[in-house]
Parts: sequence; structure tokens; C-alpha cells
Amino acid sequence: MANAPPTWELLLVPEGMKKITMEMDTKIPNAATFTVLKEDHTLGNLLRMQLLKNPKVIFAGYKMPHPLEHQFVLKIQTTPDTSPLDVLQHEIANLIQEVGTIKLKFENALTSRTLNPGEAPIPMHLPMRERRDF
Amino acid sequence: MDATAFAQETGPTITLLEVKDSPETRSVSFILSKTDLATANALRRVMIAEVPTMAIDLVEFESNTSVLTDEFLAHRLGLIPLNSEQVGTITYTRECSCQQYCPQCSVELHLNVRCTEDHTREVTTRDLVSSHTSIAPVLNGPNDRGILIAKLRKGQEINLRCIAKKGTAKEHAKWSPCAGVAFEYDPHNRLRHTTYWIEDDVKSEWPVSANGRFEPEVAEDEPFDYNAKPEAFYMTVEGTGALDPKEIVTTGLRILQAKLSLVQLLLKEIAEERGAVARPPMNGFH
Repeated sequence: MANAPPTWELLLVPEGMKKITMEMDTKIPNAATFTVLKEDHTLGNLLRMQLLKNPKVIFAGYKMPHPLEHQFVLKIQTTPDTSPLDVLQHEIANLIQEVGTIKLKFENALTSRTLNPGEAPIPMHLPMRERRDF
Repeated sequence: MDATAFAQETGPTITLLEVKDSPETRSVSFILSKTDLATANALRRVMIAEVPTMAIDLVEFESNTSVLTDEFLAHRLGLIPLNSEQVGTITYTRECSCQQYCPQCSVELHLNVRCTEDHTREVTTRDLVSSHTSIAPVLNGPNDRGILIAKLRKGQEINLRCIAKKGTAKEHAKWSPCAGVAFEYDPHNRLRHTTYWIEDDVKSEWPVSANGRFEPEVAEDEPFDYNAKPEAFYMTVEGTGALDPKEIVTTGLRILQAKLSLVQLLLKEIAEERGAVARPPMNGFH
């Protein structure tokens, strides 16, 4: 274990380095590459998915350049009326709200369960996807 | 109706299915719906790898005359789940102001067993003595014999000191609070995200999971909707005993929120920096 890398290597951003850096693409208009240190698919895929929901995003993709380096790069291209940074900021705000809602609803469900300790009603058919009768 | 109330109407929903709280199983099952696959998967990943718990990290051997090697025992000790309800009061050792470790960032446990009887002495987590009031090996009630660590013959002894530290499973899996996280969507394979390996017939060879009752079956002549996306995610979180499964979910969501907030803050800094570059100081000229 003498040459084992320190275990905190995948958690702590090295001193003097920035966790997030943005580099505008010189050849593609309205495109930028974000490098996020010490984060993985958890955040990368989440951001990519949320960005792709935005109609102003032309391209959004992420990759982890090397499995042993704990960082990912996120490439975004947007329509000319906005910028990758603005879109990313906007979508992160949406995600924070989404996760906040899930948290709130989970806690509410737990509280209502403790208030009514009987068997919780299980909805047999959730109205999430109507059956299509063609 | 304010913005948050509106979000609750349209945003993701949670349906609690089952909360098991018996000594055998501690788990929570729920349906997370009206959200994206990536969100559900991020939650799953955070619960497994980024919820902090306590685990034994350093072991100092005073004596070990058992048949097991020091390394072997140390590894076994590391994997023992410790009750981590109080993990919030402990700081990470790397963030602590102390030199090596201190009561603020670690908990000391002692194991001192010597076999003097003629029959085999089983060393279990019951023999581990913690210096902390609540951070101690997980036990399910007074009848639980504890987790077997080693067996001793007459005359053999183990005497060691353990240092338990706070950590996350990103560093080592021993810090994971989850024994298992079940994650399923689209139980009828309507979206065809998977191809079943079959000999003759899919229906008889691949029984639909228990979650199939929440979604309508796929009709024989139903056209394939290639725009459909998974919307309901069936999750079951089973804890190791270190944390209450409900706690794992809420802490996981909180960590995910904090992670996003940090990115938001850093992006704001970048935006401000770039704003400053785009508008250089006037230097007296107007």
C-alpha cells in the first residue's frame, strides 16, 4: 500500500485549483466547456439531462475523461440569445427546486404515515401513464 | 398560489409503500414519480456513496495470537456497521484542527478478549467497547449475539485499539449506510430498455416484479411509443443499521441539494468574474 494514492484524492479539490472552470469554445459560437473537479456521473448526468430539457440548448454532453481522474467535463452549446453559463445557472436553480420538492414530499409522506400508522393505501394505478387504447 | 406551492402541484411526487422497522429488516420503499431517470439515479448514487457514517479506520494491535492475521482482523473490524445517528456531531479528520485524530473527529473502541475456557471463544461485536455513548457496533436488541469477528482457542488473545472515523463510501465502501438499494422502473419493459434473454416465451420465463401492479400491462398489439420516457421509479433502501433508512434518504437528498448549491455558487463567481472582464475599469476615461 506504499504507493496507494491518498483516499481523500477523490473528494478534495487540490489547493490552488478551482472546482469549476469554464472555457468558451473558440470555433463554435455560444459553446463552452465546463470542467468540474472531484465530481462524477452523479452530477454530470444530472446536469446533462436537465440541460437537454431546455429548448435553448443545442448540445449538452458530459464525459469523465479518465476513470481514475475524479473530474468530468460538460460541453454546452446554446442558441445565440443566451449563453451556456446563463443556461447552466438557470437549470441548476430548477434542479435545486426539484430535489427540494422531493425532499419535502418525502418528509411529508413520513409525517402523514406516523400520524396514520395503519396500512398505507397503495394506489393500484397511478395516473402517470394512461393506458393507450388504439 | 406562490411559486413553491405550484412546484408541489406539478413537480415530482413520492408515494411511500412500506417502512419496515423490525430487527431483521430496516428498509423504506417508495415510488418516486414524475421526475427524470437521471434525478432518480443521482439520488440512488448519493445514498450509496455520499451519505457519511462512522467506521473503524485505524487499528492498533497490542497483541494478536489468534490464527487470523492483523490485516485480516483490521479489515473485518472496518466493515462492522457502527451506529451513526450522531455522525453529524463528528467532523472529518481531514477538516479537524488536530494533528492526527481527537475526540472531535474520531471515536475510540477497544477489543480485549482472551480465551481461558476449554471450548472455542467467539469474539463478536459485543466485545467491542466504545468510548462514545451512542457510536458503537450496531446490535438488534438484547438477544443479538453480534457479528462474529474471530474465534479463539484456549490461550489465544486479541488486544487492540480501534479508531473509528467519519467518512463516505466514495472513499471506502465500509462507510456506505446502505446494505442494498433496489431501483426499478418500467416493470413491464414497455420502453424496451432491456432485451430479455429467452428460450421460448418472455411471459413465462420472466415473471413481472411486484412493482408491475402499479402499471398497466403492455397489450399484445400495442404500438411502440418511441418518445416515452420512464416516469416512475420504484426504490427500496435497506440500511446496514448504521443509519435509519428514512434518514439515509433525507440525508441523501440534502447532500444532493448541497452539491448543486455549491455548483450554483461557483458558477455565480465565474459569471461575476467574466462580467468584470467584459467591462474593464474606466481608468478615469468616460
